[in-house]
Amino acid sequence: MPGVTPPVMLGIMDHGYLEARSRDGIVLTVAAWEKPAIGIDRAARDHSVGRGRTHSRNGRMEPEPLLDSLRNAVAAMPDDVPLRLHLAMMLLRAGQRDEAVRHLGAVLQRDPGNAEAMRMLTSPAEVSGPPASPPADVDGSAERVHGSASPAPGSIPAQDGAGAHRDRERNDDGSDANHGDPGHGDPGHGDAGHGADTGYDWSQAEDELRDVLPAMFVGGDAGSVSAGLDEARAYDAEHTGLTLADVAGLDEVKKRLEAAFLAPMRNPELRKLYGKSLRGGLLLYGPPGCGKTFIARAVAGELGARFITVSFADLIDMFVGRSERNIHELFEVARRNSPCVVFLDEVDAIGQKRSQLRNTPMRSAVNQLLLELDDVASDNTGVFLLAATNHPWDVDSALRRPGRFDRTLLVLPPDGPAREGVFRYHLRERPVAGIDLARLSRLTDGYSGADIAHVCETAAERALLDSVRRGEPRLIGQADLEAAVGEVRPSLGTWFETARNVALFANEGGAYDDLVAYLRKRRLI
Amino acid sequence: MLDLGRYEEASTLLARLVSAEPGSGRAWCLFARAHLGADRFTEAVEAANRAAAIEPAEEWPHRLASNALMHLGHHGEALRAAAESRRLAPSYWQTHVCVAQAALAAGQPAIAAAAAAEARKLAPNEPDVHFLSGKVALARGDLDGARSHQERALALDPAHSGAMNELGRIRLRRHDTAGAIRHFINAARTTPGEHIYSRNIDVVIVRSVSRMISIFVYVALILLWIPTVTRVGALPLGAGFATLALATLGTLAVMLARLPREARQLARTTVLSHRVTAALAIVFCGVAAAYATVAFMPSDELPQTLLIAFFITIIARVAATARLRSPLDPTYPGNRTSPTQPLPPTRRR
Repeated sequence: MPGVTPPVMLGIMDHGYLEARSRDGIVLTVAAWEKPAIGIDRAARDHSVGRGRTHSRNGRMEPEPLLDSLRNAVAAMPDDVPLRLHLAMMLLRAGQRDEAVRHLGAVLQRDPGNAEAMRMLTSPAEVSGPPASPPADVDGSAERVHGSASPAPGSIPAQDGAGAHRDRERNDDGSDANHGDPGHGDPGHGDAGHGADTGYDWSQAEDELRDVLPAMFVGGDAGSVSAGLDEARAYDAEHTGLTLADVAGLDEVKKRLEAAFLAPMRNPELRKLYGKSLRGGLLLYGPPGCGKTFIARAVAGELGARFITVSFADLIDMFVGRSERNIHELFEVARRNSPCVVFLDEVDAIGQKRSQLRNTPMRSAVNQLLLELDDVASDNTGVFLLAATNHPWDVDSALRRPGRFDRTLLVLPPDGPAREGVFRYHLRERPVAGIDLARLSRLTDGYSGADIAHVCETAAERALLDSVRRGEPRLIGQADLEAAVGEVRPSLGTWFETARNVALFANEGGAYDDLVAYLRKRRLI
Repeated sequence: MLDLGRYEEASTLLARLVSAEPGSGRAWCLFARAHLGADRFTEAVEAANRAAAIEPAEEWPHRLASNALMHLGHHGEALRAAAESRRLAPSYWQTHVCVAQAALAAGQPAIAAAAAAEARKLAPNEPDVHFLSGKVALARGDLDGARSHQERALALDPAHSGAMNELGRIRLRRHDTAGAIRHFINAARTTPGEHIYSRNIDVVIVRSVSRMISIFVYVALILLWIPTVTRVGALPLGAGFATLALATLGTLAVMLARLPREARQLARTTVLSHRVTAALAIVFCGVAAAYATVAFMPSDELPQTLLIAFFITIIARVAATARLRSPLDPTYPGNRTSPTQPLPPTRRR
């Protein structure tokens, strides 16, 4: 097709066959309007036969069978990002923007830093042709390393995946001012003249895609950025939509949460009656990949509070003084958005023992954190503190003092019901049959949630490779999962060896009695 | 990131930095340091060499390369790199420490001692200088000197777990098992993430069991002569064996009871572990078989039987020792990284 800029890893041949590559480089051929070569789904194939072609707004004809075939392929391989991107592009060309945006959203779910998806969401002009101007520098990571004070106009930095929240840099003017103004200097939107050539209605496209990325500031003007504030540090206070009912298993953890944190929060009269203080936060600790962050989000949902999650990379900056400012700003945002749960992930990195830190700026950051915690404790305006760490023994003891993170909760590897829940979650969008969850749960005793996700991934890969060998897809079965369990080793050994040292030698104050009890039960000490 | 020990994340950031600024020697040095921390020694050498090519007058790349080469086992090259760093910056105590480390690894304690002495002159208040001096003294057999250096390191930095560990090693050299364990416990308490300290306690326990087995076997061998000389019957021989076995187990129990409280739990776990019980079972069954052979053979065939019994006993001893040592082998099969199974030894960062 002339004038088409093929997306990464995919190409379209003139005779209508679509050649796609899965993530592991295997070439699959999906016929555009003949029978699909890999015989994905007979029903879908039959459904696609006989459909006519549709016209896109730019006058190109996009055959529906091609789109159907692509949809089928995506349904068979939902995690294949390049394939989904190509489908989104074809849908945009066909004028099916809603569906395209849904697929782009799915891509970003799987790959939050995907530059191509971001570009398509914000630059519909590029879908139908080469860009009129050099593309926006979507990789803002170089800027972050050097710590520039203001972003390039229209640049949207790639996600480095280090924290749960997303950095968003926007034009100072917001998207409204850019609307219909090609000379504004936002290369991402392209020139109006380019759109006029194809007859594509760019204004409507911008209107329709605007809501995908809402403007950060409303009615702002140039220079409205707060003096001295690095606008990259926008902390998103969101409602999580989760509750503890969404956490499978872990009944003991839920009971402890209810007793230590949730019940006092929800019952202020009873709390006053019994003199239970709300000061201080809750420190979740345990092996990696066992759901601490997920539980924190569920707690926020239970309280009906907004949720701000930050980790080390979000707070610590290479420039002197910025880390302290980031920490201060975090708590200011939390106060403005109260009731709010502030979740400090990897708190052992943010608040490491100062005796172990040779780096003076890091020590200042810890001091600032302590100050803020004291402020929150004295001025309790609905800011609840949660923190998570894999290494509580590395956390500065001042942070564990009463009034700060003085309550701890051990989040252990998932129990039987929790493991079944994790398997259910990771297999829900995969083609499976005959899975004995109870047996899998028994086989994966000692595995973390992340290990179980890895097991499901490995089983899916086995089935995929087998499908390619056979030439037709098959369902993931119990044998695949059990073989994957044999291949994937649990990753918690190192953590438990350290925990054993702590339990044996560093538990004078009884801070880790629950850990000791667990290790004794598992006969590790 | 480097300060916090998050070497993988640091490596990712630094990879971008060296891509953006390939002409920055400092960036390459930091990259080499991140590789070192993540135990990627070959990559660390490459990055250090890049830095040295960019900034030939800078000592740091050579020091980083020396460290990495040491871990790769190329001790000669490590010593040369360390010497080069010292030549470029003779007033930095770090370069002398680097030479001392490399010389120690290369088996040249005299050079190491001279370099450590120079480092102490330049930086008398650096704990790591005294820590290294103590290691050098221990390698030369100077136990008192080693102890005083490690104690000085601890006086300067009370949380120096490496110095605590070295004091434990010094106690072991003096055959003071309980004292050694106390130091290893302190080290493990200070830095629980460093698994080598608790493993050292394991090693001490296992060594004690091994010594116990050796004594048991030697006494059993000596006692095997008795039937040849006195022509006693099977019953007294059996009773003698049972007494010897009980005395051995009793000694083991007393040894465990005398350990510091924190170590008793670990010691109990170690002694009751599969490898130790298997080793004890092998040696007891072997010696019992040897005694039974002697007890039930006709007395005129005793000299030949005795030889067979000795052979059985020695084989049992060798098999038991091999069984005791096997889990310390990193290639031991079946070591799944699971909380319910024994773990392979980890490498110190």
